[in-house]
Amino acid sequence: MSVILNEVRRATYLDSIVLMRISRQIAVLPGIEEAGLIIGTPANKEILRDAGILGPESDSAEPSDLILALRASDALAGEAALAEAKRLIDHPTALGAAAAVESSRTMRAAIKRLPAANLALISVPGDFAVAEAHKALELGLHTMIFSDNVPLADETVLKRKARERGLFVMGPDCGTAIIGGVPLGFANVVPQGDIGIVGASGTGIQEVSCLIARGGRGISHAIGTGGRDLKAEVGAVTTLMAIDALDADDRTKHIVLISKPPAASVAKAVLERVAKSAKPFTICFLGADEVAVPANARAAATLKAAADIVLGASAASWAQQPLPGLARTGLVRGLFAGGTLCSEAQIVFRQAGLAVASNVPVPGASAMADAPDGHVMIDLGDDEFTRGRPHPMFEPGVRDAPLGEALADPRVGIVLLDIVLGYGGHPDPAGHLAAFLEGRERRPLIVASVTGTDADPQPRNEQVEKLVAAGAIVADSNADATAAAIAALGPGPGRA
Amino acid sequence: MLDRTEVVVPILRSGVLAQAFCRNNVRATVEAVFERSFYLRAGDDFVCVGEPAIGNGPLTLIGHLRVPDLALQVRQPASFSDRHIAIGNSLRLTLNQAEAWRPPAWPVCPSPARLIDTCEALARRTAIDASERALARHWARIAGPCIATFERWLSDVIARAAPSGDAARGLLGLGPGLTPSGDDFLVGALALLDCIGERDAHAALGRAIIDALPGATSALSACFLRASAAGHIGEALHCAVSSVIAGDVDAAIAAVETIGHSSGWDMMAGVTTALRVAARHPHAFALS
Repeated sequence: MSVILNEVRRATYLDSIVLMRISRQIAVLPGIEEAGLIIGTPANKEILRDAGILGPESDSAEPSDLILALRASDALAGEAALAEAKRLIDHPTALGAAAAVESSRTMRAAIKRLPAANLALISVPGDFAVAEAHKALELGLHTMIFSDNVPLADETVLKRKARERGLFVMGPDCGTAIIGGVPLGFANVVPQGDIGIVGASGTGIQEVSCLIARGGRGISHAIGTGGRDLKAEVGAVTTLMAIDALDADDRTKHIVLISKPPAASVAKAVLERVAKSAKPFTICFLGADEVAVPANARAAATLKAAADIVLGASAASWAQQPLPGLARTGLVRGLFAGGTLCSEAQIVFRQAGLAVASNVPVPGASAMADAPDGHVMIDLGDDEFTRGRPHPMFEPGVRDAPLGEALADPRVGIVLLDIVLGYGGHPDPAGHLAAFLEGRERRPLIVASVTGTDADPQPRNEQVEKLVAAGAIVADSNADATAAAIAALGPGPGRA
Repeated sequence: MLDRTEVVVPILRSGVLAQAFCRNNVRATVEAVFERSFYLRAGDDFVCVGEPAIGNGPLTLIGHLRVPDLALQVRQPASFSDRHIAIGNSLRLTLNQAEAWRPPAWPVCPSPARLIDTCEALARRTAIDASERALARHWARIAGPCIATFERWLSDVIARAAPSGDAARGLLGLGPGLTPSGDDFLVGALALLDCIGERDAHAALGRAIIDALPGATSALSACFLRASAAGHIGEALHCAVSSVIAGDVDAAIAAVETIGHSSGWDMMAGVTTALRVAARHPHAFALS
């Protein structure tokens, strides 16, 4: 179980760069999940409190005191980090020169250092991302905009400008891409192969690419478009360019499209473009009702179904399979780090004829506030859970409080979880979850999925082992985990 | 009593408030020692003593010195006598040759439209060039609502309307660093308002800060904030704001990069925010 440790140094002044370097060094020590070294002003204590790492010993800290606050996976790791922090605070010269290494601070400087670069990944506050994307395009660079909060009108202008120059704009809010085998943003280690993906959803791309990789195939390119590319205002500029590129790419033999339901006019344009290709397509408009696809395409209702079509696998899922000994009565509470995985779970419920609610409801699902006593799927990446805190993809502690509530709620029979691995993710999300569950009374069944591969920085097989050891049921995919939860569901108010 | 191995350091330049600190105090203590500077404290007041590279400031004494050579210890006593500061038993700072430093006059403001162009260019550069520790980056999400409140408050004050919200309370003491990012932001905003001659807004912001100051931030940062509220800012920030007004973004960036690790960028966030608000009220530039 995680431990919170604080150390207060009275009336201690350290240079800002020393504070930052010590924070960084402590944060990367083994078993450290979160760490901060800041002066003890009321505003800063509030931030530490919100982050759940303010200990009682810091309550009395004054604004001129220094607070070191950390959360560790266990007491041993925490005490070791605290000892190291004390040593560095007492002897800041021990930090060494390596910590001072700076990367290029402007795009032009980066281009000078790497003249062959042809893609810029932009991750700055949304207010500024537009200007930087324009700059990248003017430098002749394809652009992946990780930032969100970019106005829709700016996205449209950027994408049209890029198209005129033969350049891609992936995003805004593009979290995942794999270009020529190189993962960008939150992406997994998957083999190169002959499947191309065009996706408006980062976790959607991750889930499908990992299922394909685990099914023995590989990815040629996975091109992220950003979540609004298929809106009427944008007109699928990047999606259509990506289809063109993958259609012309000899390595790509099959193309998967992943998106929320597009605007009707945009869907028509995209499907007309698909019909012109000689290659097979799988189209997953997640949450859409019946989709009339061209003859060279098949529609998939879920990410798992999309991967199954690519792999030629049967779509049989755990929903049809009995799970002896696992039956539970009550409600299902889904707690998701991946927003698209949350949507997919709602769709599986809907397919099973079960009412479901969510803080990010798909068509056919209810808003959480309207159906508090039913099955609920919660996207923990939504703003209400991440205000002042990192996204649960790299800070699994965001799930602790809602998971604790679910475990303690007598109405909840099954807790549904996702673990998303890969570059950019937390180094050991399953370990964190297992530590949280250790010693905790658990009446509900815990059903989980792990999006990732064994080659990821956090090998999937090891993550699965930790979850199983912690007593969780681990399914092959998010859709399977949801179907397993439904299969285990006994008669109850939400059962159709 | 100084011993025979005393080191005598001539102070070359002294800021206005640093001179007052030396005049008004008999005793102080060494409060903090850094690589290029150290701080003396007497009550709630501080003075910074440092090598020429740290730049002039209202609270600064610039001397021919290398701090590591002085073997200073935190909590060492210091005493003041006529034109001298004795620290411990072996260091004496002499003020005999010290010249008073004051910032030059602010430049004349151009049109609001041109300032908006400069402001936008600066905002873009801030997003890219800012130190990754600066308020403009990691703390933006946390500070965002406080900055929005500050903007509304400032807009009301410049429009001569009853101000809504609280100018400073959410920002004071917020963020990492020796001087928290939120404090640096407010210092930048004060400097800009002073520069454009928005005296009422400057005074109102100064009062709001002073009123909210007790217990809100460190004693050291509070001292800088009080100085800024009284219209005293350092040379580098003065240069940065003057460059903004002159439309010279490169010079403004170069100046903020010399201020601390991330403080300069946080100050620039305050400068650009206040400028953006002021530019929406053209009369704000009437007095400059």
